[in-house]
Amino acid sequence: MPLKHIIVWVFAHLILITSGLVTADEYTLHRQQMVNVIKDDVHTTEKAINKKSFNKIVMQAMNTVPRHEFVPAGLRSQAYENRPLPIGHGQTISQPYIVALMTDLLEPQPDQRILEIGTGSGYQAAVLAQLVAQVYSIEIIEALGASSTQLLSHLGYDNIKTRIADGYNGWPQHAPFDGIIVTAAISHIPPPLVQQLKKGGRMIIPVGTRFQTQYLTLVEKDMQGKVTTRQLLPVIFVPFTGSH
Amino acid sequence: MHPAIDDQTVTPPLLSVFILSASALAYEILLIRLFSIVHWHHFAFMVISIALLGYGVSGSLITVFRRWLLENYDRVFIANTLLFGLSSIACFIIVQQLPFNTLEILWDRSQWQRLLLSYLLLALPFFFVANAIALTIMRFHQKIALVYGIDLIGAGIGTVLVMALLQIFSPDAILRILAISGITAGFFALSSFSSRQKQLAAALISLCMLAIFVTPQEWVALRLSEYKGLAQTLLIKDVSLRSSHTSPISQTDVVQSPFIPFRHAPGLSLQSPAGPPEQLAVFRDGDEMTTIDHVTDESSADTGPGEYFDYMSSALPYHVHSSPKNTLILASATGAQILQAHFYNIPKIDAVESDKQLSLLITKQYADYFGWQKLRHKVTIHNISARGFAASEKQYDLVVLGPSGASTGGSAGVHALSASYDYTVEALQSYLKLLAPEGLLSLTLWTSTPARGNLKLFETAVAAMKNAGINAPENNIAWIRSWNTATLLLKNTALTDAEINKVRDFSTSRSFDLAWLPGISPLEVNSYQVLQEPVFYLAARSSLKGSDGGFIGDDFIQEYKYDIQAATDNRPYFNNFFKWSSIKELLALPGQAGISMIGVGYPTLLISLAQASAATLILILLPLMFLKKDKKKSSEKRRNIIIYFLAIGLAFLFIEIAFIQKFTLILSQPLYAVAVTLCAFLIFSGLGSLYVQNRMRAESEYTITVLLRHSVTLIGLITVSYIVVLPLISSSIMALSEIMRIISAFVLAAPLAFVMGMPFPLGMARLQKTRPDLMPWAWGINGCASVLSAILAVLLAIEIGFNGVMLSAVVLYVAAWRSALSPHY
Repeated sequence: MPLKHIIVWVFAHLILITSGLVTADEYTLHRQQMVNVIKDDVHTTEKAINKKSFNKIVMQAMNTVPRHEFVPAGLRSQAYENRPLPIGHGQTISQPYIVALMTDLLEPQPDQRILEIGTGSGYQAAVLAQLVAQVYSIEIIEALGASSTQLLSHLGYDNIKTRIADGYNGWPQHAPFDGIIVTAAISHIPPPLVQQLKKGGRMIIPVGTRFQTQYLTLVEKDMQGKVTTRQLLPVIFVPFTGSH
Repeated sequence: MHPAIDDQTVTPPLLSVFILSASALAYEILLIRLFSIVHWHHFAFMVISIALLGYGVSGSLITVFRRWLLENYDRVFIANTLLFGLSSIACFIIVQQLPFNTLEILWDRSQWQRLLLSYLLLALPFFFVANAIALTIMRFHQKIALVYGIDLIGAGIGTVLVMALLQIFSPDAILRILAISGITAGFFALSSFSSRQKQLAAALISLCMLAIFVTPQEWVALRLSEYKGLAQTLLIKDVSLRSSHTSPISQTDVVQSPFIPFRHAPGLSLQSPAGPPEQLAVFRDGDEMTTIDHVTDESSADTGPGEYFDYMSSALPYHVHSSPKNTLILASATGAQILQAHFYNIPKIDAVESDKQLSLLITKQYADYFGWQKLRHKVTIHNISARGFAASEKQYDLVVLGPSGASTGGSAGVHALSASYDYTVEALQSYLKLLAPEGLLSLTLWTSTPARGNLKLFETAVAAMKNAGINAPENNIAWIRSWNTATLLLKNTALTDAEINKVRDFSTSRSFDLAWLPGISPLEVNSYQVLQEPVFYLAARSSLKGSDGGFIGDDFIQEYKYDIQAATDNRPYFNNFFKWSSIKELLALPGQAGISMIGVGYPTLLISLAQASAATLILILLPLMFLKKDKKKSSEKRRNIIIYFLAIGLAFLFIEIAFIQKFTLILSQPLYAVAVTLCAFLIFSGLGSLYVQNRMRAESEYTITVLLRHSVTLIGLITVSYIVVLPLISSSIMALSEIMRIISAFVLAAPLAFVMGMPFPLGMARLQKTRPDLMPWAWGINGCASVLSAILAVLLAIEIGFNGVMLSAVVLYVAAWRSALSPHY
């Protein structure tokens, strides 16, 4: 190879590497900014969610998972904005604040096993994978399940097990679970999922249209097996207080 | 040479005007259907109302280029008919290609650009039609009233035509039919052309028709938003569309999933030992899923397909009533409540469903799947509205209403702009009258967070009971709630101790929460489905405050951040919860949460109004820059013209929209109400305009003034008398046969519509005598007013009720009359 070609080759690669590093840095910066926005939102909504801050390890996970990898290439520049984004197939990747809130409400522990119904982009599973021993995730739409499985594997999340199936019946082979997240639209809480929830476990169900998650239902199973649900409005809006 | 024709013997292209007007109105209604299917109803409302500003743009354009356009009238007229035909289909195709997502509009600024482009594209067909009609009015100014009358009659026929077409063809097929009919209008206008021109124009027309014929079907086919329930369901493996049916009300799609059950069971208790059986999903306009249960021989042997019915909050009345002999199910949809009543062995079931297509699914198309053969001996389905049926004298042990469809509509606010006569004070009163002694009325609704609809229902029920003379309603009401539904039980007499105990047992055994019960303790509420505050109980106490029970409740209802005041027939917007006093707090919420809380309905209305007002202002002011300044008094004259044509444009639609609502009640079917009202108002107004033409033929300025005075006086008198008389005679008319109810509606509309057809041609005729150059401008103002009116009428109806809307129309007509009396008109 003539010398001038070698120089051009080295120079071109140097540019590529440098630009790559810059992009990665930008994403890191944007991720940090996203985490700060979530912290602000928690502060604003502390009365509604009864928390002054989210668990540090949850925020750390939010600051680690490369959200830009889970959104379509054309939307990467918006990946760290605190908003839901379309990911195709009529699905969305949830607003980062809601992902953090749902994760925090599960009260994840390193030895836990969590079931997710509705893998979607795989982002929520990736966040959970940073915090618990094993994540099981089920997606009903074949194309979406296949792409998220591939992506999670590519990103090295080896503690996430996925399958394409009907989430209503849960995943009995791996039950019981310490926590369950149901992001699919449901007309009632599936009894099999309640059965597969450990005593003391928590199930989170976000309810609302795709771009307007309005509230979360938290299903709790106490140590006696009694099940109660609690509705949380993730914004500070107390409708009955009036002018008081 | 003056381009307008003074010769009275020359005939305008009336057949072409008729066809074009019919096609344009049919196209407008069709677009509402198309966009309701592709996107959502509120989006259709917003886009169409703005697209109609094409009429306003046309007025401005003709004002500026009036002379040239009139000199080339024949060619311009035909060109506009062709352009309407071509653009009606082309613009829809392009709009469908735009990657617009109505749900993302509050997050993504680029969506606004796409929305604006949609407006511009959809305004084009209306712009071309308006050009053709307005130029014909200018050109044949001696026959203004005749042309305007034919325009209105054509539009009236167009309404009926599109309703009939929607019964037979799919909406995308009708798009092609209307495009061709628009072009046909050009064909009938060829008579004034020389033979050579005629050949050329005929060739062009044929070419355009051919272009529409050969447009590939896949270009025209509807592309459902990927966020609609149907689109998402079809992504699931092996799910397939079993059948589709279109009607003027909705598109109904039936979907099967052989391997993954739909499992639709609203509010099913966590204690339920069983789930729903195999089901078919039914989508209306691609959303609002309901299901048809599969009743197999084994499951239906005795009591029906599912034990799961016993674990829904809607099962409450069947547990409380000791031995119901018959049940009335209001809004039976695809039969879930019928099967529930069958599960409890009710010997006689009457079901009411206003959408005939839904009942045909379970009685004909999927009768075997639903097990209709085993039900038909005891179930009768009536295709009429709940209110229409409630006007009957029958008596039932149980009357059951809801829940219907999917849960998303209420909380997302997409139905906020739809009037609902099933949940008003008067409606609940009529349902209570249907109850036999010891009978129970059961109302189940989906819940939302924060709670809205259910609280409004409770308040409405209390108002209905008080109107019915029940002094202590707190003793007659039980209210329970599940995870996502709530059931309200009403009785004409006080609930007995045994009944109260049954409610407690039912709720406890199914982990449902008590929200209200005679003698309830605050400690009993909010136990299983824990809300941040026990708002159901608090709302109940507040609603019952002041009754004979003597509750010292707080002002919960007044202070609540949503409007949960009782809905009435005059303000039948049960699904609208918007309250101006809360908007500041709501909008201050982080992210887009505030908008989510408000719901999309009311903001859509406000945004549409702001857009239409801005566009109207520009379209009214812009042409003035090009008009010749006319010495003194000119500005006063223009002001009077603006007032006159703006006022009559606003008032006409105010009354028309108010009558659609009044007739919805009388005709028991919203579809008939729209068709009959539009048809009657347009046709009789057209006849009124023709009458004006007849009277003006040989008479003077004096005739115009007298006719104007008489018509405005009559409009005022008839409107006010209808406000008083209609509520008194409504129930008598509702008891008549269907055909007699339609005839009654026509008879009621005729005199008012007839006189309402006069002010516009009279105003134009006067203008023709003094400032003919301002005629197109006046036409444009009137077009803009119609757009504003459609939005304002709904806004006013929500705030002050339909009687207020009608009175506002009278005031506007009087304002128009005063401006016309001015010497500077």
